[in-house]
Amino acid sequence: MNRLRPLFITIALLFFAGWLGFVAYSYLQLGRLAPQVESDGSLPPLQSGSAIRGAKVYAAEGCMTCHSQQVRQTSVTPSDIDRNWGKRPSVARDYLRDQVAFLGTSRIGPDLSNVGVRFTDPIWYYRHLYEPTAVVPGSNMPAYRYLFKMQKIQGQPSEEAIVLTGPHAPKEGYEVVPTEEAKDLVAYLLSRKQDYTLPEVPPVPEK
Amino acid sequence: MRHESSLSQVQAATNFSEPAPLHATTRAEIDASLRFPVLLFFRTALFWLLLGSILCTITSLKLVVPCFLDGINFLSYGRLLPVALDALLYGWAIPAGLGISLWLIARLCGRSLRCTKILVAATLFWNIGVFLGSLGILCGYGTSVPWLEYPNWASIPLFIAFLLMGVWVVLLFLARQPRSIYITQWYLLLGLCAFPWLYATSNMLLTWGSVQASAQGPIIAWYSANIFGLFLIPLALGIIYYLIPKITGAAIYSYYLAVLGFFSLLLLAGWSGMTLFLGGPIPVWMVSASVVATMLMMIPVAAVILNYAKMIQGQAAALKESPALRFIAFGIIAYFVATLLNLAYAIPTWNGILHFTHYSNGVVLLTLLGFVSMVLFAGMYYIAPRLFGFSWLCACSIRCHFWFAVVGLSLMVTSMTLGGLIEGLALDDAAITFVNVLSFAAPWRWLNVIAWMLLLLSYVSFVRLFGKMLFRATHPDQKASACSFNPLASVS
Ligand code: HEC
Repeated sequence: MNRLRPLFITIALLFFAGWLGFVAYSYLQLGRLAPQVESDGSLPPLQSGSAIRGAKVYAAEGCMTCHSQQVRQTSVTPSDIDRNWGKRPSVARDYLRDQVAFLGTSRIGPDLSNVGVRFTDPIWYYRHLYEPTAVVPGSNMPAYRYLFKMQKIQGQPSEEAIVLTGPHAPKEGYEVVPTEEAKDLVAYLLSRKQDYTLPEVPPVPEK
Repeated sequence: MRHESSLSQVQAATNFSEPAPLHATTRAEIDASLRFPVLLFFRTALFWLLLGSILCTITSLKLVVPCFLDGINFLSYGRLLPVALDALLYGWAIPAGLGISLWLIARLCGRSLRCTKILVAATLFWNIGVFLGSLGILCGYGTSVPWLEYPNWASIPLFIAFLLMGVWVVLLFLARQPRSIYITQWYLLLGLCAFPWLYATSNMLLTWGSVQASAQGPIIAWYSANIFGLFLIPLALGIIYYLIPKITGAAIYSYYLAVLGFFSLLLLAGWSGMTLFLGGPIPVWMVSASVVATMLMMIPVAAVILNYAKMIQGQAAALKESPALRFIAFGIIAYFVATLLNLAYAIPTWNGILHFTHYSNGVVLLTLLGFVSMVLFAGMYYIAPRLFGFSWLCACSIRCHFWFAVVGLSLMVTSMTLGGLIEGLALDDAAITFVNVLSFAAPWRWLNVIAWMLLLLSYVSFVRLFGKMLFRATHPDQKASACSFNPLASVS
């Protein structure tokens, strides 16, 4: 055993080196980043309760399996910014207000880190979630009809009801409205905006 | 460098020549003590393998035919995919790897196992954890942390069960009869000690939410890389180091290469992985460190592969005779290809194009299914007949298993990497709208569906064969089926 002890220690040290470098460093350094305090509030902006609940729906539905939330450095590729997915690369502090950083590793769908800048109308999101192909022909995003409910129109149609034609349209006298989950999810999507500036990341000059 | 100085110590402390032969009665005792628990590991693992690959087939089809089974919450793509991948990792690869490790360690340490009841209970506990975790994802409690999607409470039974299972390996090791240590033991112990640490720290920080989201990126990348680099890959390498000499009778080609391979893997694996977020919101120095580590990874890979290749060289007869050796040979090739693909992925300008396409998932699947799983199958082909007490019943099932896997995996890797490249080139050109990018990717995604179907066929034929063996073991009076095959003929 005595002969083996230095060996085991070497192995443990080699093993822990990577852990210290990546995990402990992240915990101690990136984990303690603080918001940028400005005269009119702090950055990144605080999120509403609905958006925070919406992040849970985003996690539960696994939107992250198809959507990333990160704009890459222009030195690696300018295409993220060329595609209008953001005005500047994302940095660690952008995720400060999130519970989970849905950075994502695949882009079967577009990047969503600034989707709240691109689309501002909740009804658009409802329509798209309910039936993606009706909004974007050729889309292969799954339909999230189960985040909506069909209800009888009582008096005035609901303001949130989505206008539908085609196979999934409601019967006469009924309407399709989002559930609380869908509303929270859309509040979360609307909060996806990295449209402020932080000192560590200068804005990319417009071409 | 650290490992240079310890080389002499390793050589002094280890016996790198062939695993020591045991007395026949000891062998029989060990096999008898391990029969039930190890076969239980295999049975549960095969169940999850089948389930995982069925779900993977469905998800790959959903990607090209989105209206297939759509609008049902627990069957939506975003919930099924994590269930499928986690079933392959936590349901299949880990228990199968543990079962094989237990047997190898028992054989190498010349010790039979006592108190197998605790081990059996731990296996069941682990499987309940995987089951509840999968159910949790399907019911909408998934976390969306890569490879840690199970709801955080499911990590507790998994962690405890792993400790209960892993502790046997450590106990067997401490009580070993031949005092010298064979290279396989080094690898297996490394993997089995690494996993609890990897799993516990990542879960604590990520799913139990004790770290701010700004710090999660590197931890996610660290876990996703090391669950392979420091756990499954060492297990597979250790298994190969045991099986090749046993099957071919060849001694290890070079001690030096074996030591170099072990320590350089240990040194580098922990530092690779950040290429997953190359260009993303993580510190640049981490990415640079990982790019360098990934490039240097060629050293341990070349060292082990050279060693293996020299041992297999000129063993055409054994390759024909032994299914285990054939699976190993394919696994080694897959390991080499995966390393090259990883290397290409780590070149920043190439990564800019390949990142976020199917390419990176393709490399992960190649490692998990092409390398690790093929080696696990090899282990099963070698071990199961010794536990059952009779040889594999049907050579044609084995051929189906092997060839469908070979064709399926090759098709999968081509479709995902080449398709990924084309998809990436299209994504890189902002003039091509996103929906048009989809049409570039679609034909390759269809190929991927076909690849999954072939793999499913391959796994079904193995599970059928295994089922036949189990049936035969419990009904010894029944006649064996017509075709028989004897891989035991050449080895003890
Ligand atoms: C199977 C992969 C997949 C999943 C899962 C998925 N999406 Fe999508 N998504 C896409 C694709 C492909 C597009 C592009 C076509 C389109 O706009 O419909 C897209 C587009 C979008 C867009 C429009 C973005 C833009 O800039 O045009 C939003 C918003 C969106 N998805 C949100 C979600 C949310 C929220 C979820 C989870 C509930 C989700 N997606 C799950 C594939 C997916």
